[in-house]
Amino acid sequence: MNINIDGLRGLLLDVEKPSRYTGGEFGAPDVRESAFNFCICFPDLYEVGMSNLGIKIVAESFLKRGYCADYCFAPYRDFGRGIKKLGVPLYSSELKKPLNEFDMLGFSMQFELSYTNVLYMLDLAGIPLTRRERAGGNYPLIALGGPCTVNPEPLADFADIIFIGDGESADADVAQAYLKHGGATEEFFKEITRIDGVYVPALGNKVKRAVIADLDGAVFPERIAVPNCESVHDRVVIEVMRGCYRGCRFCQAGFIYRPVRRRSVKTLTRQACALIANTGYEEVSLNSLSTGDYPHLRELIKELKTNLPKDVTLALPSLRADSFDGDFAQDARKTSLTFAPEAGSQRLRDVINKDITEEEILNAAESAFDAGYSAVKLYFMLGLPTETDEDLRGIAEICAHIKERYRQKKRTKPLRISVSLSTFIPKPFTPFQWEKQVTAEEAKAKQQVVIDSLRGTGITLSWSDGFTARLEAVLARGDRRLAKVIKLAYENGCIFDGWTKDLNKDGWLKAFDDAGISPDEYTRAFGEDEVLPWDYIDIGVTKKFFLSERRKAYAGKVTGSCMSSCKGCGLQDKCPAAGAGEKL
Amino acid sequence: MIAFKYTKTDGAEYLSHLDLLRHITRTLRRAGIQVNASEGFHPHPKIYLNNPLGLGIKSTAEFGSADCADVNFAEKFNACSPAGIKCTAYRIFDFNPNYAFTVESCGYFAEGIAKFDAEEYLAQKEITVTDMRGRRVDIRPRIYSLEFNNGGLNFTLGCGENNLRPDLFCKILAEKYGGNAVNITKVASNGKYTF
Repeated sequence: MNINIDGLRGLLLDVEKPSRYTGGEFGAPDVRESAFNFCICFPDLYEVGMSNLGIKIVAESFLKRGYCADYCFAPYRDFGRGIKKLGVPLYSSELKKPLNEFDMLGFSMQFELSYTNVLYMLDLAGIPLTRRERAGGNYPLIALGGPCTVNPEPLADFADIIFIGDGESADADVAQAYLKHGGATEEFFKEITRIDGVYVPALGNKVKRAVIADLDGAVFPERIAVPNCESVHDRVVIEVMRGCYRGCRFCQAGFIYRPVRRRSVKTLTRQACALIANTGYEEVSLNSLSTGDYPHLRELIKELKTNLPKDVTLALPSLRADSFDGDFAQDARKTSLTFAPEAGSQRLRDVINKDITEEEILNAAESAFDAGYSAVKLYFMLGLPTETDEDLRGIAEICAHIKERYRQKKRTKPLRISVSLSTFIPKPFTPFQWEKQVTAEEAKAKQQVVIDSLRGTGITLSWSDGFTARLEAVLARGDRRLAKVIKLAYENGCIFDGWTKDLNKDGWLKAFDDAGISPDEYTRAFGEDEVLPWDYIDIGVTKKFFLSERRKAYAGKVTGSCMSSCKGCGLQDKCPAAGAGEKL
Repeated sequence: MIAFKYTKTDGAEYLSHLDLLRHITRTLRRAGIQVNASEGFHPHPKIYLNNPLGLGIKSTAEFGSADCADVNFAEKFNACSPAGIKCTAYRIFDFNPNYAFTVESCGYFAEGIAKFDAEEYLAQKEITVTDMRGRRVDIRPRIYSLEFNNGGLNFTLGCGENNLRPDLFCKILAEKYGGNAVNITKVASNGKYTF
């Protein structure tokens, strides 16, 4: 029975931003029940989920095949408590159908600190949390996908199906198999293990990441729901490229989205124009991991400016300092520009294969000043492999040199520099997957070095909470034993762990304690001969390549961009840059 | 200047005023209705709405104005507007009717409040209540009319400088006479330029 929103009036008027829970967005796809009913669950708030492009692509792939694809977002505590008290199960956005009545729920795992929210949403839907508890009952298939599932282990006990890699076809292929077998039969599970990117934890099959060959022709929604209340990225997003040529050694996205695939200027222009006309947005964001590396960027910007309404602005959120050009700068709100040198010294930048020089950073800042900017934001990491205090003090030096360049411009407006310092997290499927993470005390000491060296400079410094980074590392590198900890943490009230004000540190520490598991087991250095929890996943990039990159890191050698030459990561047969497939 | 009357129902009553303004701006953009922009460092379209309606209160009589030419406004607007935000009438003015200042009172309808003698209530010279900031205020001058009709309570309250929130008023009545107001709906806006 679908939920009647009018019956929730009293609760809606009692909670923050009730329009998160009412659905009916303009432009939302006309969702109807079909032979297969799928609901995408986003384990974070409506405002965050509505900004996510991935879930819209997955929904589109279901709708294209005539299946139902509805949405559900994690309700904030106030609403969650409210429906629980009223005995109303968590329901989908458009159909207002209880999650329990769908054929499959697909959770989008965007980052590790949303793991407990999966349990929270299942619980609100009245669905038992673990696969074992659900066995034999009439429940939807619980599926997980998104970047975090490259290491499916910590969540494996909660899921029936785990999708690894591109979501354009594997997800809907599973729906097709489900219909063919008339439900989640043994044969159904056996058959879907043959689909690239499908892992069935109960069967423990070998799995190869799903990689779509043709991004230009891939499904992409040209009509999207305009959120009821302002979302975090309230604009049109087009995906210029998937993957990154650079291979920075700390960056998981740089490896798990390989090879780089691009969309054509023609396709991107068509998508941007359709989306602007259908949404009424005033801004188009050109997304990718490094938009400055798109070889036809100039042509794309020109085409977009010619074809979009005059007042629509373009945003290029991921520009590397060496690809920044005054012409590419955002054409509205020239206030602050962000660069990510990641490390304070050239030596350390070479270790992480950032492949950028201080001169390039300074030149980028200078062209930003010439383009009218008067504020710069810089991202750095602490706790990187081989890091010394000298490297950390380099942060202050870069800032001083940027200040000097600004002074030469003789501008009346004062320069604002803000430095954001985060803690390095060794992630699976990177050359640094074996590294240890700094302890809370080490991180604190390193922060102090930066704080001291920036004292009196007028530079704003912000740093992340050490516990958050530690928890993220543990969950990212976890094995199946962590399921117990995650469940206990949820029972201790840990949800929305990614939100500073909601993070319940004591709840997590107690969960680790009660489970008899020390978080240190997961933040320590892993041996190269150890079997890593995620080793059985074939991501495409070989372990041999990761090891050779690790060696080069310690030797301080830069590998450089895939654009210059093929580095032989293991995906040569699928990589357009290495000569496979069509070049766009 | 186009002045338009629109609804805020069918889920739209849960939109905050800022979100509503964003939705109307985007509706006009989608409809291809060109609205003249303010001249300044950050130009924005000249769209003016009446005073914010409390969250959860429905309305069939919201008013707004936009600096644009007549282009078959209602039809185009309604083809591109979200559910519950529909233009029901529009007029052309050669000045800005600025409803935030010119609407003086609004008529409401609510169900669920226990029946009482409305005439007797209005006969009171002074009705003092504690407002949200804890001050004592006399709300009698802000109540323009009050009667039971069509199975509910019809009432007119002051707006703008003389504002009284209909949901608060209903709460005051419910506390005194019992019942619980549901479906509070604004049914009329009264001012020099409303229609």
